[in-house]
Amino acid sequence: MLKKLLRYNESYLFILILLISIIITIANPNFLTFENILGFLKSYSMIGIMAVGTLFVLILGGTPDVSFTAIAQVAEYATAVITLAIGGNIFLAILMACIMGMIMGIINGLIIHYFRVSTIIVTIATFNIYYGLMYVITEGKLINVVPKMFENFGNTLLFPTTTEIGGTYGLALMPILWFVSLILGWFILRKTFLGRSIFAMGGNEVAAERIGINTMFVRIFVFGFVGFLSGLAAVVHLSIVQAVVPNIIVGKELEVIAAVVIGGASVFGGRGTVIGTFLGVLLFAIINNGLTLLNVSSYWYNITIGIIITSAVTVSAYQKLRQRRTRVNVKIENGEGIK
Amino acid sequence: MKALIKSSTNRSILILLVGIFILMSILAPRKFLTFSNMISMAYQLPLIAFLSIGMMISMLTGGINLAIIATANFTGIIIFSILQIFAGEATSQASILQSLIALGGGLIAALVIGAVMGYLIAYIEVPAILATLAVMILLQGVNVVLTKGYTLSGFPSFITNIGNGTVGRIPIPTIILIVVCIILYVVLRKTVFGRSLYILGANPIAAKFSNVNVRASLMGAYMLSAFFSALTAFIMMGQFNSVKANYAESYLLVAVLACFLGGVDPFGGTGKLTGMVLSIISLQLISTGVTILRMDPFFIQAMWGVIIIALIVANKFGKQIKETRRLRTARLEQKSEEKVKNRNRW
Repeated sequence: MLKKLLRYNESYLFILILLISIIITIANPNFLTFENILGFLKSYSMIGIMAVGTLFVLILGGTPDVSFTAIAQVAEYATAVITLAIGGNIFLAILMACIMGMIMGIINGLIIHYFRVSTIIVTIATFNIYYGLMYVITEGKLINVVPKMFENFGNTLLFPTTTEIGGTYGLALMPILWFVSLILGWFILRKTFLGRSIFAMGGNEVAAERIGINTMFVRIFVFGFVGFLSGLAAVVHLSIVQAVVPNIIVGKELEVIAAVVIGGASVFGGRGTVIGTFLGVLLFAIINNGLTLLNVSSYWYNITIGIIITSAVTVSAYQKLRQRRTRVNVKIENGEGIK
Repeated sequence: MKALIKSSTNRSILILLVGIFILMSILAPRKFLTFSNMISMAYQLPLIAFLSIGMMISMLTGGINLAIIATANFTGIIIFSILQIFAGEATSQASILQSLIALGGGLIAALVIGAVMGYLIAYIEVPAILATLAVMILLQGVNVVLTKGYTLSGFPSFITNIGNGTVGRIPIPTIILIVVCIILYVVLRKTVFGRSLYILGANPIAAKFSNVNVRASLMGAYMLSAFFSALTAFIMMGQFNSVKANYAESYLLVAVLACFLGGVDPFGGTGKLTGMVLSIISLQLISTGVTILRMDPFFIQAMWGVIIIALIVANKFGKQIKETRRLRTARLEQKSEEKVKNRNRW
């Protein structure tokens, strides 16, 4: 059982998270309180939701998408402007943001599919177009007042509890949306033909096409799904911040990609799990939160993350290299491979 | 010159360049077609050029170097730290010898970063995008910790002259750019190292069997890429007269874009320095034009995106047209052959 578990990348990540958590808890017992944990889950739910989309793109293969932050930024701004003008309720806002995101994502997918260009090039281009046009149209104005419903949505707590000093905490709705998108991602990837097609295309696109997978549909679905999740992430962010700063989401794309990669997704496509992605984001959240609790200056955040990513990718590549070498050696000992 | 026009990617970028130039000359002839404007463009060009060339070298091998800007900022910060060790608070009073030692130290620091990335990619076989992403995040952290988030200024005039000075009326950075480009052109075209970069980008297994030391060349490529980051740092220090943890971060995607416009294949193996130079000049023309016409800088950002998409579409249809033309001529030839055959039969 244990041996089987140690085969998975996720187990190592889980052990790492456990170790870091123990260290932080010893230094500051406040870490292991519901209030703190629910707090950092809430503030990382936007990154978590985006990470699910990035996981899909990485499994599909090719280079990562970098435009999802621009999509989220545009969806956030547009949703705020439209709801300010016509009102409506939070469900309508979520639906609107998701549809806008989906349209932008599908445009990405169409260009990538029809012109067969690497994802990173196309998404850099569309990143610039979406984000640039948004700035040109809105002139980069801040929106300080957003409709009350976002505040209500952001402040709604399930199982509210009052602390000794009078504050209240509870399970906010954003982490629930995060978990819903994780479960949705898991369901699509593991339980549907569509999900298996994504893995197949990531493994070998030509082979996938030969066995009758509609590669156009799968690719457009993946990019549409990324856009959909970006729209959802936009509403989550809007409800937490309750204002629109037009450049606050963009720039997070590499952090999201790093979290997904730490979670074991391969940049060559065809491999990756939802659990790993969740753990990757959780690791970032815990480190960020832990540094704050340990009273370490936030300057050290990037160094810590950098050291962990560097050692993670190095160790995993080294293991793969050694596996391959031993396999070759075994072959040579058995007389295979020498002819 | 003939070879410059002959290559089809170079041709489309050349058309783009001439088009922008003519458009700008019509829209703002008094401001655009002046000597001082040309000089100011020549002054701004080297920064983005060195970054893009550093990116290009990594892309030739089929990789990518996301850490170019982090490396450049790191180099600048190391140079400043060395100056601080020598001269204490009065860094701008450092002597020429001290400045030279500082520059050398910065260059070594950049090469070490390049060697670390190259080692990870070539010997441990970490995918390039991951290794450089990890090093980028790590270096960003180191940069912030070293500067404590402040902008550090006060360089001796010897160092600022590299980015800021002129010989006659020609900016020194432009002269450095031209000299470096000529050397790099020879290295990529005529040396074993240069040729092996192309072949290992196109097919690493074939490269191995062609007696190319794949691992060493790959590591060399990332060191060369980091060398260009160091050159960027030398110029940045003069032009901004300061160092900071996160200068020029928005140029990362611009560098990828410049490579794509210049015809560098992100999967490796193809890409010419001439195409790169043309694409960098076009990007510079666009950004200067936008400034002269007082357009929204975000409008230009959107324009870049539109230009890439337009180029992707143009490439696709260009290929299709060529293909149909080839098929048609093939069919015609076949028909005429059949005619000849038929005639012979009679």
